Amino acid sequence: MVKRLGALLLLLAIGGIFTSLLVGYVPDTELNDTARYYAYHTAADIGSANIVTAIVITYRGLDTLGEVTVLFLAAAILGLVLARGRRQAQARRALTPVGELLTTGSRVLVPLIMLLGVYVFINGHLTPGGGFQGGAVIASGVLLLLLAGPRKPFAHSLIAAVESLAGVFYVVIGLMGLVLAGGFLDSRVLPLGVLGALFSAGTIPIIYTLIGLKVGAEFSVMLSDLAETEELG
Amino acid sequence: MLSPLYLVAAALAASFTLGLLNPKRSGAAYAITLVTLAFMAWVPAGWLWGFMAEGAQPVEIYTAGALPPYAINLRMGLAEAAMTLLITLTGLLSALYLKESLIKLGHRGMAVLMVALMAFCGIVLTRDLFNLFVFFELAAISTAGLILLSEDERALSAGFKYLIVSQLVSTFLLIGILFAYHASGTLNLDTMASARLPHGSAPSFALAFFLMFIALVTELKPFPANGWALDIYESAHPAYSALFSAAAATASLYAVDKLLLVGGPGWYPMATGIGITTFLAANLFALPQGNDRRLLGYSSLAQIGLILVVLGQRDLLGEGTPFIAFGLLVSHAVAKAGLYWLSGLVGGRSLTDWAALRGRPLLVFAFISFVAMLTSLPPFPGFYAKWELVRVLAGEGRLALLALILIGALVEAGYLFRWFGYMLKREAPAEAVNGEPHQVVPVYVAVLAGWVLGYFWGELSGVGLGHHNLLLSLPLAFALGFLLLDWLPAWVKNTLAITGMVAFFFLTYAEYDPLRLIFALIFLIGGAITLLASYDAHGRRIGFYPAAMLMYAGMVMLVRANDSFEFFAAWELLTLGSYFLILRGKHSEPHALSYILFSLGGAFLILAGFALAAGGAAQFPITALGQVAPAVAPWVFLLLATGFMTKTAAIGLHIWLPGAHAEAETDVSPMVSGILLKAGLFGLFVLLMAMGKQRLYGVELTHVLLWVAAFTALLGNLMAVFQEDAKRLLAYSSIGQMGYALFGLALMNHLGWLMALMFVINHYIYKSMLFLSVGGVAKRTGTREMYRMGGLIRLMPLSFIAVLIGIIAISGVPPLSGFGGRWIFYNAILASDYRLPMVILFLAGPVAFLYLFRLIHSIFLGQLKDELRRVKEAPFWIALPQMLYVGLLLAFALAPGLALRRVDTYLNLFFPEGGLHWEGFEITSDYGYWNPVAIMIVVAVIFVSLFAWLLFVNRRAQKVKQFNIVFSAERPFRPETTHFAWNFFAPYRKALGFLVQPYATTFWGALTDFLHTAGDLARRLYDGNGQSYALHFLAFVVIVFGVGV
Amino acid sequence: MIHLAMATGFLLILIGFYGAVSNRNILRMIVAFTIADSGVNLVIVAIGYMPGRTAPILDATVKAGYAAARIIDPVPQALVLTAIVIGVGVTALMLAYAYKLYEKKRSLDIAKFTELRG
Repeated sequence: MVKRLGALLLLLAIGGIFTSLLVGYVPDTELNDTARYYAYHTAADIGSANIVTAIVITYRGLDTLGEVTVLFLAAAILGLVLARGRRQAQARRALTPVGELLTTGSRVLVPLIMLLGVYVFINGHLTPGGGFQGGAVIASGVLLLLLAGPRKPFAHSLIAAVESLAGVFYVVIGLMGLVLAGGFLDSRVLPLGVLGALFSAGTIPIIYTLIGLKVGAEFSVMLSDLAETEELG
Repeated sequence: MLSPLYLVAAALAASFTLGLLNPKRSGAAYAITLVTLAFMAWVPAGWLWGFMAEGAQPVEIYTAGALPPYAINLRMGLAEAAMTLLITLTGLLSALYLKESLIKLGHRGMAVLMVALMAFCGIVLTRDLFNLFVFFELAAISTAGLILLSEDERALSAGFKYLIVSQLVSTFLLIGILFAYHASGTLNLDTMASARLPHGSAPSFALAFFLMFIALVTELKPFPANGWALDIYESAHPAYSALFSAAAATASLYAVDKLLLVGGPGWYPMATGIGITTFLAANLFALPQGNDRRLLGYSSLAQIGLILVVLGQRDLLGEGTPFIAFGLLVSHAVAKAGLYWLSGLVGGRSLTDWAALRGRPLLVFAFISFVAMLTSLPPFPGFYAKWELVRVLAGEGRLALLALILIGALVEAGYLFRWFGYMLKREAPAEAVNGEPHQVVPVYVAVLAGWVLGYFWGELSGVGLGHHNLLLSLPLAFALGFLLLDWLPAWVKNTLAITGMVAFFFLTYAEYDPLRLIFALIFLIGGAITLLASYDAHGRRIGFYPAAMLMYAGMVMLVRANDSFEFFAAWELLTLGSYFLILRGKHSEPHALSYILFSLGGAFLILAGFALAAGGAAQFPITALGQVAPAVAPWVFLLLATGFMTKTAAIGLHIWLPGAHAEAETDVSPMVSGILLKAGLFGLFVLLMAMGKQRLYGVELTHVLLWVAAFTALLGNLMAVFQEDAKRLLAYSSIGQMGYALFGLALMNHLGWLMALMFVINHYIYKSMLFLSVGGVAKRTGTREMYRMGGLIRLMPLSFIAVLIGIIAISGVPPLSGFGGRWIFYNAILASDYRLPMVILFLAGPVAFLYLFRLIHSIFLGQLKDELRRVKEAPFWIALPQMLYVGLLLAFALAPGLALRRVDTYLNLFFPEGGLHWEGFEITSDYGYWNPVAIMIVVAVIFVSLFAWLLFVNRRAQKVKQFNIVFSAERPFRPETTHFAWNFFAPYRKALGFLVQPYATTFWGALTDFLHTAGDLARRLYDGNGQSYALHFLAFVVIVFGVGV
Repeated sequence: MIHLAMATGFLLILIGFYGAVSNRNILRMIVAFTIADSGVNLVIVAIGYMPGRTAPILDATVKAGYAAARIIDPVPQALVLTAIVIGVGVTALMLAYAYKLYEKKRSLDIAKFTELRG
């Protein structure tokens, strides 16, 4: 009880700090210097219609590489930990059979979901969306598969290869920017093309595709790892 | 020079590629990992070489083909290169160390390790705030991952606690970054720094900055938001802990440093406050700690706290900040990584389990090198850094902070040296050290790196501040050379040592003024004579010569020091060397600890004194002590005098001496008593010569010294009277003798000084001699208790002669040199104004007779014990120097002018009045004359006649054999109580015992107990619950906000 | 309007924190942290919002040359993406921890994992 009271008091004080941030906050009426630069230069320099994508993939590409690495780390650690757990939980209890509805529904939906995922990451430089969103959509398809057929053998090695290769190619494209264009992760290795076209904005669509594949693969691996160890308890 | 982006790319490419390998080919994956890590280290190594050797300029590395602040940029400068090298090398060595564990974990574990190192490097390199956040998250996740993969089960909960706190931290960091972006319109650190509004005019920016700052500072594990860190340090695999302590801390420190650049000087006090609190608290909590890795964890927190203080003092330190911060940082990183790697070789987790290392001298050397690095002892980088930090802080008057730093450092030295004592002295566990080559190599690399960095910092300090590189000074190099020669037999090393010392004296003797010549003579030639006794030792005597030579090197450097830096460095070296020597004694572990603590405490006072005197000047010649501003001069005097008096064991500060001197080895006791104590006197000579009389609040400080000296003499002698242990008796007697010498100095007149010098010489000769004779007797009889001896006069005649001559000399009766000392002393007293303390000193004289009498009476006279019937004379090499000393004493008694005349003339420079007049064998003062030769003849005649008469009278006396006595049937509970020589002076004890109650011992004991108890109580704050740690963090935020903003 | 969104964000953070320090069940703590994460993301998005403007995507209505006057600040939008992804990574890691912790003690009570202390 004392602990909760202390926690409340402390959070009250933190809330005070937040309140003064809130009170001091005045929305900008004009774009600040950085944002204005992006607004003016993205179209000409990067050729991406979605300015946020230009920032994510090119201007702040190093962040995004880090982001991808975060997911990679999470998947790797999860895999390691759960792989060890798996060995201990060998005995499996019988599962209730999966319903007809789910099986049939997944057969219809999974290809569509996959297609949507690919669409989302390929068009990342044109519309709201991108590799992370697309990858997550793909992974949701995998989740559906897992739900529909929990005992189905899961193509671990294929997915692992996709994940690794996508990662390696991402780094290689980044290095190509360093060698062929203005710097690491510079997307102007390929021509910029026409603003708004599918094949435009240099390497951005390629990078987003790689990210989409990688993220999709990573989430899938995580989900299947978790699914295969659920019997603990 | 390769772009550091290749470092990032290599780590990621390798991590991703490993997934393509067949999971069964772990060996190949491990090879790829090592190659990648080596490449990652090679990149910054190339840059570092470029900056250091080729004068390259710092480079901005742009990404995405756009310029900052619109795209992320990295910077590679000297600091970045050094830190990324430190990080990647630690990573490489840790990976080597982790061979089995990594191969077992497979490629995913290796990938996590590589990403962790890449993230640490990224934190250092990036100039973009949000990118910094990304790298921090990468570091946090990979850190938590590595912890999860540790073998210790408890690491699990530690890692989860870490994740809880890091969730809170990243929330604050993100909000801070976004609001800072909103307020400044940029995420680039440099742009934000240059756009910084004057402090206070932009409250929302200040608030945002506070959130970022508090979040990043929490990565430095500040008190009290650091319970999670301790749990990690305790439970993670030691190679990971090495990484966290060395690499992660480096990265986080630099992140805070970069952030402070944005915040500006307004935030420095906050950094200082957090840093010093952490430094003190962590050191205090470490004191009662028994688990090695947790102790190292506490020490890590403390060190990082100290470096944060340095960053917070940037406004004063200015350009010198990197020199200090890096000096402390590399010392910490190298030593901590090395110690964690070592801890993996030790089976048990208790501090005493480290005794297992004892069988491996190289690992012992590694351990003590690390401890010396952590405690900022010369010649390691931390020493130069400490000197510089203290110099500036004192120069600018931040004395409270300075005092807190020194107190914390002393506590830290306390638990580290205590640990070292355990390692050398505690019973070794049955389980030996299991050092695979790949686990031992990283440790050796760390040791080597520590020494190389020490050399390097010496060079830097030479360029920047005009100090000499300590490692280049001949005496120290000579001493360290013995480390390489330690495989030789002891007699070879002994010969080398003696030759070296004598040769050095003859090479340099023309450079000393008469006063210094006397000290140089005692240190070098006197030291060489004492070393003759060391021929008695057999085998290789590992560790003895480096230690002894380190002490002698320190003393020689002390005499030769011109400025305060050299003086202080020499002081620390001789302290360290003598500590190792003392620690060699069989039962000396606690005494050596109290010795090193008192000595370091004294050294810190000296350090502070010099820094205060220099007033911020980089160079401070010793002679300039005379020109110190009157406002601070008395304080300088007080600090320095107290510092020197810890070494001469003035009353109150004396409790380390008896144990340290008595428990030392036979040939070490004369070194640390006869020779080492003179270092303190030398310091006092130098101090008084330069500063003269000082008044503080109207009290004349030399007058205070006089009183202290008088009481030291009286109480030292009194305590000696009641000892049963012969070596302890001699040790207490040294306290008294040093009191006499101090008294002479404090008289501040010509004759007083001459007398002090006389004591310097005399005490060296007779105390060395007595310790050797008593040591020889103890060696033969197997005991130091005097009542267990007796009647040894026939069996050990040479030792008897030495003791007889020695006590005649000490007691100050004619005809030996002690009388000369007394004679000058009486003259000096007549020439001075202080009569009251003199009375006390007079009282001390007869007391000396009492204990000296016992040496002859209980050891050599009386009845021979049955079990000692077969005792032989002391070994040749122990007896030889004694006989040399007898010769020396007689010579000095006959012709004191040989040594003193030139000094007498020299003293005229300081005290023109009251010198002596030397003519032939006759010495004349204002009050009378003294002819040593005549006195010798007179005494000899009287002695011979009396002796002859006694022989004649007692010619028919009956000799009573030992077994002629009848015992009563009683068998006492403590047999020694029936022995007449036990508690010999019981009546005096009844009368004067109150004077020798161990008040000082009780006081210091209570102080350490208090610190232990306080630390033990306070560390219960860390209750192990992750939610409590989260609350600690929130409380930390609120408190800092309340206090600071 | 923006202030309301931001206040909601802050409130979510505080609720999340409170949940994390007052619930002893580890899974509940993790859920609490995801609530706090959402709060943070809401605050981030709110910071970049500007009244009366549109999303930073160039098309027929938002021409490249006039974009600066029409769009909201794209930077927080880019940052929030990163923040979300990192949040997912950390949550996954915490779940892995929860699994291992449960495996070890068959309990998810945080107060039972206090063997390291002092």
